[in-house]
Amino acid sequence: MATPAAGTLVSTIDVGARIDDITDATGWLGTLADEQGWPDATRFALELSLEEALTNVVSYGFAGTDRQPHIRIECWRLPEGRVAVRLIDNGVPFDPTSIAEPVVPDSIEDARIGGHGVQLMRHFLETLDYSREGEENQLTLVANAAG
Amino acid sequence: MHIEREQVGSDVVLKVAGRLDTPNAKPFEASLMEVVSMTDGGIVVNLAGVDYVSSSGLRALLVAGKAMRGAKRKLALSSLQPQIREVFDISGFSTLFEIN
Repeated sequence: MATPAAGTLVSTIDVGARIDDITDATGWLGTLADEQGWPDATRFALELSLEEALTNVVSYGFAGTDRQPHIRIECWRLPEGRVAVRLIDNGVPFDPTSIAEPVVPDSIEDARIGGHGVQLMRHFLETLDYSREGEENQLTLVANAAG
Repeated sequence: MHIEREQVGSDVVLKVAGRLDTPNAKPFEASLMEVVSMTDGGIVVNLAGVDYVSSSGLRALLVAGKAMRGAKRKLALSSLQPQIREVFDISGFSTLFEIN
């Protein structure tokens, strides 16, 4: 989904590229959840997914590059009670949708540290779409807010 | 995030409140690992006051869980709220930890 053509842009925010800046993004989303009256499950799904996606961007998107980070987040209201949160960054190309599901380990000794963020996004979201547009990653998270 | 520590028999009970998100994950992991290194009994992490957990929070628990298993000590979790339990179930962590 390159452009939520049938949607209405509700709000945007620019955030920094440090771990602590994630709080700005989740706080912004929480305010939107209150204003828009999203069900608790929708709020949880979008907040968790945005945090997981943004953690990847700030942790790896600009490592080893000298580019000035630009990270923008948009919230769109879509038809049929759905909500899209789109994360746009100018980090290195990274497609979370290409990440394989981690194998469920048999024991704590075998458990791999990491790799669970995308698994959680896939579970809690209706759709998760990625595209590379020019120098930007665009990741669109869609959840149902109809309740 | 807030953590209260209490000795119950041979176990240390950690009552965690707040969000186990990415910004809080490192301090949470540091608190857990301090208890792992400073005590020699079991550890119970009471999550009744936790209303949000992301994969970063899971990661902190896994780091502590591996250290405890290596030392043949018990690390149990208790009192998970339904949404938190769902995150544990989806990621397969429910089978890795004793959950009361």
